[in-house]
Amino acid sequence: MRAIDHYAWTNRWRDRHPAEKLLPAGGLLVLTLLLPPLTTGPLVLVGTALATVGGAGVPLRAFLAMLAAPAAFLLAGAPFLAMSISFADGFDLHFPAEGARLALSTTVRALAAVSCLTFLTLTTPLVDWVPLLRRAGIPASVIELILLMYRLIFVFAERALTGRRAQAARLGYARFDRGVRSAGLLAGNLFQRALAQARRLEIGLAARGYTGELRVLRPEQPLSWPRLAAGAALVGLIGLLGGLLARGWP
Amino acid sequence: MHITEGFLPPLHAAAWTAVSLPFIIASAWRVNRLMRDQPQTKLLLAASGAFAFVISALKLPSLTGSCSHATGTGLGAILFGPSVMALLGTIVLAFQALLLAHGGITTLGANVFSMAVAGPWVAYAVLRGSRWLNTPLAAGVFLAAMLGDLTTYTVTAGQLALAFPDPASGMVGSFIKFVGVFAPTQLPLAVVEGLLTVVIVDFLREYSGDELRSLEFPPETFAAEARP
Repeated sequence: MRAIDHYAWTNRWRDRHPAEKLLPAGGLLVLTLLLPPLTTGPLVLVGTALATVGGAGVPLRAFLAMLAAPAAFLLAGAPFLAMSISFADGFDLHFPAEGARLALSTTVRALAAVSCLTFLTLTTPLVDWVPLLRRAGIPASVIELILLMYRLIFVFAERALTGRRAQAARLGYARFDRGVRSAGLLAGNLFQRALAQARRLEIGLAARGYTGELRVLRPEQPLSWPRLAAGAALVGLIGLLGGLLARGWP
Repeated sequence: MHITEGFLPPLHAAAWTAVSLPFIIASAWRVNRLMRDQPQTKLLLAASGAFAFVISALKLPSLTGSCSHATGTGLGAILFGPSVMALLGTIVLAFQALLLAHGGITTLGANVFSMAVAGPWVAYAVLRGSRWLNTPLAAGVFLAAMLGDLTTYTVTAGQLALAFPDPASGMVGSFIKFVGVFAPTQLPLAVVEGLLTVVIVDFLREYSGDELRSLEFPPETFAAEARP
């Protein structure tokens, strides 16, 4: 999580307007879902990989590492999509051809869709979405809640890791029953500290005249129409290619 | 159990989003009002949401050796009540999608329904039921967390079955298939999560009576009992 957040804040496209990244990512995601996945999926994967690695300058290793976890989940699930069971006469298990096709197309589609999400995640810090959320009509207080949560996640994650290391050093996870107890104590402790932190934050903010909104200056991110058009062109190109390939072109 | 981005066909993804949306809006409305009436709840909720995120990333000791994570569904429902959990859960799930690429944006609706709506409501109902029957608190908490977890898992299997009916035996067949696939990891996980939640609640009752009382929303049943 730290690595992902690190790339999101330091990549070459960090200062670009979020819409310039959302348009191609969202467009490709829609294409992936709507067009036949076997031809469009690989094109989308290549497109997002190029944009992430070539464009934003995120190492390929980070991109692949992020795809790895969902890929493992998909590969584990694929055989079960492919197989078919019936109870017509007893219990019967077989692998029909259409099952294999369904498994393959679902896996490719999901992988391509995850790559769109990965591109967004690795190039855009979460905070950048806030102005878009505001425009989408989400109440200000809920947005504030999201921002506070984002900040606190990293504080608590740090604490959880430290606590876990301390417990492990004292053989807290040496046996299963101890492991359950240690994990429970860690979580309980974390919650108690979380509430204490919330109270301290509240007092500190109240002392500084907090009225329910944290106003901060944001770096200006001018929207560039040429770049937006380039993103749209990429989506159009991949959509066209994918559609043509699906029809048996050339 | 997150459904990965793009795994569901577009129509199903859209339908589940439509199903979850009323719950999220109702929850947002309620939370919004809570925060307006008592400004301090905002920080409390933020801390709780961040806590839920970190807990869900916490590796559990597992029996089968597979990597398993807590869902925090039951604990959240016990501490905050299901109506608050819908919004908190949605934000946590969105964070997991955007910070970890775990889950997804198009499948957010389906995941919210199984993890932030169905699971918490069942857990909460079980806890209320057990309080009403006067069973020991530990038993109620264990059952609530375990059944909440199992509900999440069954609903997810149902969602997958609806999306991918078996060519021979239809949805029933594919439901059995998906339940079977995940049972070896999910059943022990639910038990572990139940045990873990009991330990957490026990710890909180022992040491955080004040904090629990400050969580004024739903769990009267539970907060009133916290030792001074």
